Amino acid sequence: MKDLTLRVFRFDPLADGEPSYETYTVRVNEGARLLHALHAIHDEIDPSLHYRYCCGSGQCGSCAVRVDGEPVLACMDEVRDGTTIEPLNLPVVRDLVTDMEPGLMEIPGLLPSGEGQVTRSEIEAIKPLRDCIECLSCVSECPAITVGHFAGPAAMRQAMRLALDPRDAADRVPEAVREGLFTCTTCQRCWEVCPKEIRIPGKAIEKLREMANRSGLTLPRHLGVAKQVERTGRSIEHTKVTFLEEAPAVIEPHGEVKATVGFFVGCMYNGRLPDTAWDMVQVMQRNGIRLVIPPEQVCCGSPLIRTGQTSSLRMLQKRNIDAFVHRGVDLVMTMCAGCGSTLKNDYETPFRVVDVTEVLTMYGIEPPGKLPLKVTYHDPCHLRRGQGISEEPRELIRMVAEEFVEMPPICCGAGGGVRSGLPEVAGALGKGRDEEIRKTGADAVISVCPFCEFHISENTGVPVKNITTLLLEGYQEKDERSGGE
Amino acid sequence: MLADDCHDCHVLVIGSGGAGIRAAIEASKYGDTILVSKTLTGKGGCTTMAEGGYNAVLRADDACSLHAEDTLSGGAYLNDPALVEVLVREAPERVADLMEWGAVFDLTDEDEIAQRPFGGQRFPRTCYAGDRTGHEIIMTLVEHLRSTDVEVLTEVAVIDLLRSDGVVTGAAGLDRRGELVTIRADSTILATGGGTRIYDISTNSASGTGDGFACAYRAGAELIDMEMVQFHPTGAVYPHDARGRLVTEAVRGEGGVLLNFPGERFMSRYDPERMELSTRDVVARAIATEVLEGRGTIHGGVYLDVTHLAPGEVEARLPIMLEQFLHFGVDIREEPMEVAPTAHHMMGGLRITPSCQTTLPGLFACGEVAGGVHGANRLGGNALADTQVFGKRAGEGAGKAKRSSAGVDDRQIDALHARLDAFPEGTADPAQLRRRLRRAMWTGAGIFRTAEDLTGALAEIREISAQHPRAAYQSNLIECCTLENMCLTASLVVRAALMRRESRGAHVRQDVETTWAPGASPYGHTYLSLEREGVETGGAGE
Ligand SMILES: Cc1cc2nc3c(=O)[nH]c(=O)nc-3n(C[C@H](O)[C@H](O)[C@H](O)COP(=O)(O)OP(=O)(O)OC[C@H]3O[C@@H](n4cnc5c(N)ncnc54)[C@H](O)[C@@H]3O)c2cc1C
Ligand code: SF4
Ligand code: SF4
Ligand code: FES
Repeated sequence: MKDLTLRVFRFDPLADGEPSYETYTVRVNEGARLLHALHAIHDEIDPSLHYRYCCGSGQCGSCAVRVDGEPVLACMDEVRDGTTIEPLNLPVVRDLVTDMEPGLMEIPGLLPSGEGQVTRSEIEAIKPLRDCIECLSCVSECPAITVGHFAGPAAMRQAMRLALDPRDAADRVPEAVREGLFTCTTCQRCWEVCPKEIRIPGKAIEKLREMANRSGLTLPRHLGVAKQVERTGRSIEHTKVTFLEEAPAVIEPHGEVKATVGFFVGCMYNGRLPDTAWDMVQVMQRNGIRLVIPPEQVCCGSPLIRTGQTSSLRMLQKRNIDAFVHRGVDLVMTMCAGCGSTLKNDYETPFRVVDVTEVLTMYGIEPPGKLPLKVTYHDPCHLRRGQGISEEPRELIRMVAEEFVEMPPICCGAGGGVRSGLPEVAGALGKGRDEEIRKTGADAVISVCPFCEFHISENTGVPVKNITTLLLEGYQEKDERSGGE
Repeated sequence: MLADDCHDCHVLVIGSGGAGIRAAIEASKYGDTILVSKTLTGKGGCTTMAEGGYNAVLRADDACSLHAEDTLSGGAYLNDPALVEVLVREAPERVADLMEWGAVFDLTDEDEIAQRPFGGQRFPRTCYAGDRTGHEIIMTLVEHLRSTDVEVLTEVAVIDLLRSDGVVTGAAGLDRRGELVTIRADSTILATGGGTRIYDISTNSASGTGDGFACAYRAGAELIDMEMVQFHPTGAVYPHDARGRLVTEAVRGEGGVLLNFPGERFMSRYDPERMELSTRDVVARAIATEVLEGRGTIHGGVYLDVTHLAPGEVEARLPIMLEQFLHFGVDIREEPMEVAPTAHHMMGGLRITPSCQTTLPGLFACGEVAGGVHGANRLGGNALADTQVFGKRAGEGAGKAKRSSAGVDDRQIDALHARLDAFPEGTADPAQLRRRLRRAMWTGAGIFRTAEDLTGALAEIREISAQHPRAAYQSNLIECCTLENMCLTASLVVRAALMRRESRGAHVRQDVETTWAPGASPYGHTYLSLEREGVETGGAGE
């Protein structure tokens, strides 16, 4: 037996003006789940506590709540002392009980055609999408649902499941488009929180977008991007002299060589934000990293995959892989989170792919000077969730900024082709970031993704900086200080 | 005084498990249908938790007659042969319905529904969707339900059936806030599932508290074979608070072996022929005996081992088991599970005809709340088939039944209010009473029974029932009603267990010697109603 203390959200919309939190200390058995602690509160201390559960074994999807902001199934999650328990981000019926009905009604059912024999291979394709227990954790966390017309991840999962089924008589693709298929930013949050680990963005949304593409339903603005890639090998038009036009094939570090890495530039740093890439180069030179930069590299294909236009993807993949293989590098670095996530998840590379923050923490860096700044950090979705990287950038920021404040890791709206396809949705999410940024009172927002940096800076007055720019400023500060001494 | 929230319909279905939803889909073809459940639609009950599979004769080399024989012999010949006949004949048709509505069952290389062997059956006839078969069935049904015009009332717990001149005319329930809701109906279908939550250790969902048995008994319906409680041989023993959680029979179906603490494959001493794939009652008693005789693990179970299977096989065939145990810190690809018996299924229940008519006019029943289909012991995979076969029949029977002009009897509503009004004045803690009841049932009416233990359990139940549970808030009224239902259901189980003076199927009386083979038993069903109780004599299946 052990004692633990939980802070629990309490709210009766019919009686209370606003929610409050109550703290309870209960005794539970070793290995107890959160649900058992809620039972203990209800049975021993406060019978007015409302919470929902039924199967007690992770199968019915009744009991999802948030523990310190992260959705979990109360019946499966081992209870932890000192945590805060809140309902999902859905309308609250009472305390931890939410109104799930509207979310459940969004999930379409099969329209029996009465014919069509399903085959084993079709069943096997459907299965990974079928484990859903309709707990709505994903719906609770989806940023797109809050700003655009979007049926949500659970419904999109189901739409894909139905689109794969020959027994279904309805045409799911145009329906999914109407229900907001292009509103999803592919932020991967739904996948991250799903207790059944259903990979909705990759396995449903992007696949539905591919089907939409084959039916001519791709958004006009997205078609432009694909044309651009086909014509130029780049997803965006450059506005400045590109990085690759100026960069030599190899950039040597200033001192001893600690490592040699290939640099995959990506369209944004190449054509729109080359200055940031040059900042990075200086940081690498100072820290003993030799950069190998094949000039024939092209767009990674991410904008095509996210928008379902994959017909020329193979060619891009081959050109990029060959470019680095010919240089004989076994480590390739990205500094764009989108490129990194694509190379790691959508490519089969004979070399290892790492993010710039991984390179810097892996080989260690010379300590920069401390900047008298309070900064916050925006987690790029394609870094945090797409690559599982969240600690490395924080470690680097702490080395250089005097003060670091966290903000919740929510999508900025730039990804998934939403910025180009549905700018108003992207704008609304960007504004949401601005609010969080201002709450922190930070002097600057740091990030590690050109899309996030570009998009957030359009939506906030607070300066947005790439992490390597911040580090470079730290080195400059250090040099000035030692020069002045 | 009338309830604030009144509804009216042609068919009222109580319970949204597999049987209830199937019934509602069918009934809606005949008129306005309301589906009410204590939980969110489909999320309550045990159907969504069912893992192993659904029995149906689908292959040319299998036969309905074989399925019937297996079911009868598994049920120790206490089953109603007419109900068994319906079950085996219609199970294939109902699985075909599910397939038409989009069910994602596993298929063979020939694109036919795959089937696996399950305990007590001579043919591998258990259809499955991985180890989430019940969930697959429920999802298919819920999705199909959304396309009908069945009106759904969620999170309303039915506390009593309504009657008018001996005819059931609907039901009264409490919503989440404890407000009374009444639903008048021409016909009412009870599909509230089982009730093994009356035991300390149980596989059932939180709604398996036996409400349906209790409401029906109070309304005057007759129940049969209530002593027949199936103890599933393999329930998890750790962590303590999640004990009883089912470890699916599919684990044994896929080749899992049972070992006692010294490492002996002990089933060779109990059923050398069928070993782990023997019937549930035999395996449960074997494990209980091993533990009682000191050959159990530290947590009071035995080992169930699949580590000899390829890890990939475990991942593909038993994904839910793998995931659940990983959550609790055990990788079943590398280490054995620890298991012990757990109260699983109620074979007994309302006496029904093949068209699901109960002994009360206006009341139909299907699924686990009905009795007679599984006799003294249910075969794994037969309950899911039962929900679909008899769910459809109940929906059809109720749908086709006459319209009725009978209204709600105000006196009954007044009486209900009086009953509810007493709870805020109550003095006893319902949670404590519930715990006491569950322990009394586990020790007094568990796997091995004697008249003495049963009498002791009954006395304890009576003492608990005599207490006045307290509802601290209006929303706690439901808990008090549920407690009363649990007490009543428990007493039905114990009374029936005392009446059956033989060991048969899941019912083991250690204090009486059973000298006959099950098929030759002089006893038929035990029966209990407000009017009469006893045990039928003159042979099985009466
Ligand atoms: C863990 C587990 C695994 C199983 N595996 C299998 C298997 O593999 N194969 C097989 O054949 N069988 C299996 N069974 C048995 C089978 O699942 C059940 O017997 C069957 O699903 C019962 O279905 P049902 O529709 O009758 O009731 P349930 O599915 O239990 O549904 C009961 C419904 O009634 C509602 N309800 C209850 N009380 C009230 C009330 N007072 N007011 C309103 N609504 C109420 C509940 O909310 C729920 O919606 C398993 C059982 C369990 C517990
Ligand atoms: S990837 Fe993000 S935006 Fe898209 S559905 Fe999932 S949570 Fe919503
Ligand atoms: S997809 Fe996952 S998170 Fe979303 S409802 Fe289904 S199980 Fe829950
Ligand atoms: S109670 Fe069913 S998933 Fe948690």
